[in-house]
Amino acid sequence: MMNNAIVLDGVNHQLNDKPFFKDLSIELREKRIGLIGRNGSGKSTLARMISGLIEPEAGEIRVHGVDIAKDRKKAIETIGLIFQNPDHQIIFPTVEEEIAFGLESLSGNRKQAREGARSFLASFGRLDWAERGTFTLSQGQRHLVCLMAVLAMQPKAVLLDEPFAGLDWPTTRRLYHWLDGLEQQVVLVTHDIDHLESYDRILWLEKGQLIADGAPADVLPAYREKMERLVFSDDEILGPGLPATNGEQG
Amino acid sequence: MERQVAFIALFAALVAALGLMPQFMLPFGVPVSAQSLGVMMAGVVLGARRGALSMILFVVLVLAGLPLLAGGRGGLGVLAGPTVGFFLGWPFAAYATGLIVEKWGKGNLLIAGTFASIVGGIFVLYLLGVLGMAVRLDKSFMEAASMVLVFIPGDVIKAFVAGFVLQGIAKARPSALLSRG
Amino acid sequence: MLSLTVEQRSWMHRLPVWLKLLLLCLFTLVLWPLADWRLLLASCLPVVLLYASAGRYFAKLGAQRLKPVVYLVAIIFIYQVVTGRIEEGLAICLKIIATVSLANLVTMTSRLDDMMAVIETLAKPFHALGLPPRALGFAMGLVIRFTPLFLQRGTQLNQAWRARSPRRTSPRLLVPLALSAIDDADRVAEALKARGGLQNTKTKETQSDSAPQ
Repeated sequence: MMNNAIVLDGVNHQLNDKPFFKDLSIELREKRIGLIGRNGSGKSTLARMISGLIEPEAGEIRVHGVDIAKDRKKAIETIGLIFQNPDHQIIFPTVEEEIAFGLESLSGNRKQAREGARSFLASFGRLDWAERGTFTLSQGQRHLVCLMAVLAMQPKAVLLDEPFAGLDWPTTRRLYHWLDGLEQQVVLVTHDIDHLESYDRILWLEKGQLIADGAPADVLPAYREKMERLVFSDDEILGPGLPATNGEQG
Repeated sequence: MERQVAFIALFAALVAALGLMPQFMLPFGVPVSAQSLGVMMAGVVLGARRGALSMILFVVLVLAGLPLLAGGRGGLGVLAGPTVGFFLGWPFAAYATGLIVEKWGKGNLLIAGTFASIVGGIFVLYLLGVLGMAVRLDKSFMEAASMVLVFIPGDVIKAFVAGFVLQGIAKARPSALLSRG
Repeated sequence: MLSLTVEQRSWMHRLPVWLKLLLLCLFTLVLWPLADWRLLLASCLPVVLLYASAGRYFAKLGAQRLKPVVYLVAIIFIYQVVTGRIEEGLAICLKIIATVSLANLVTMTSRLDDMMAVIETLAKPFHALGLPPRALGFAMGLVIRFTPLFLQRGTQLNQAWRARSPRRTSPRLLVPLALSAIDDADRVAEALKARGGLQNTKTKETQSDSAPQ
């Protein structure tokens, strides 16, 4: 059981030719981890580094003992990444092909992968989706296909980068609830902090630096307070105060 | 009208993006610019007239000084270089490709797209490209042709990919195929 | 999206674009019939001087931009040497280098919007043939806006592939990329219509494309 952690050791990485992540070291053993921070805080880049899609310029990242940037074959068995927008993730025209793709990468056998995809769909009660066109599914259905395509590969950890954007409230809640039941280690990047209260550990990232790291009860209230203060003040993202509108109260 | 302009412009942008994209690699591990594949795609998806207009837009923007050609090249210098015939041949290549897809009745779209791309994106394009080279380099047509023949096998593969893309789009978004009315 | 215009201004930046284009055409036409490599070598001299007059940084950048052509020309020259036509090869290669570098010079010293203005002027006769006056400007803007977006989307799809496969990405990714372009085109068309569309003749042409200050 030594190796069931995501370990970042002295990670340095530049963004837009400027040092951004500076000597970042974290060890994540908890089963449910939330990663929060404002737009541009580096969450997505960090998510891609943990998935091994971006190799940090210096330092090492191991996920459950695997050097995910170098050993891509092991990496895809170890960690799965869910993208923010299904249109950025879905590659194939039918649901079955989309799910079989990852399985074929693992086994190297197309026929077996197709069968695996079908039985996985059946286990979800969605066998009727197999032949459906991925680009004819609704937004919520596409999100579910993305989840299934990653989970079918049975990775040891799943990383979700601001998933479920644009879904209605019950669908979002339903998917989150279902995620909670997964066996895998889950790292969730999100702005939807209400859902993180049941998590084990929260990382708060700003400009590539961890500014808080701890239990939800400690981190989330501080985060909420900071964000609410920003609503009525000048900030870097939108610039100085917006002009008064008729509906403004004071 | 708005839809047509949007399609024409966005396919010009797609061709530009394909030229600037380093990750798309074709088989045998040799990085080949996917830009001429984009020309075939514009033809098979948009059809003759709109495909040609899209490529005219692309050519005009490159001449205006946008670095949209593979490797970030662009500007008026392209017109003075030896590959000018290929560059100016793109609208014609897209037109020919699109025309064949439009006239292709029912039948396998993979074959239609591949065949159209071979005729438009290879035959027509090389005809104009080699003519341009022959004029620029003061060579006979055959002599100029012998200098570019090595690129044809790679372009045949691109034509297959264009056929595959046509088939994929026909499945997912039949209404988007302006070339199939 | 970067343009190929050099930000650092030189005296050539101040010349009107139409004049530069005219001079470029004249220069190219004069060089066209020349076949003596000595004359063509001499014709490179004014071009080099023009680059030099804009400063060291500018000249260095100009030389960099010429690199791809130089490679191509080198191959052609080797071919000429092998086939035993050295003088002819020298003439051809020098002619290409001189005309390409002068054309690059025009691009490097002309702002993109000035070039586009020239294009829109040249396109005016087509309005009679059914080209809506605003369409060309809109279309050019859309290409500039969407090229980096598609580039980014290609990168993302490439990541989506690599996240689930250790193998090299395949051209199969082009299908979802093309589909996303198609969907974007539909959305853009709606957004255009929602804000007045392209056929709107009430808007004055000169104001149509500039954002309110």
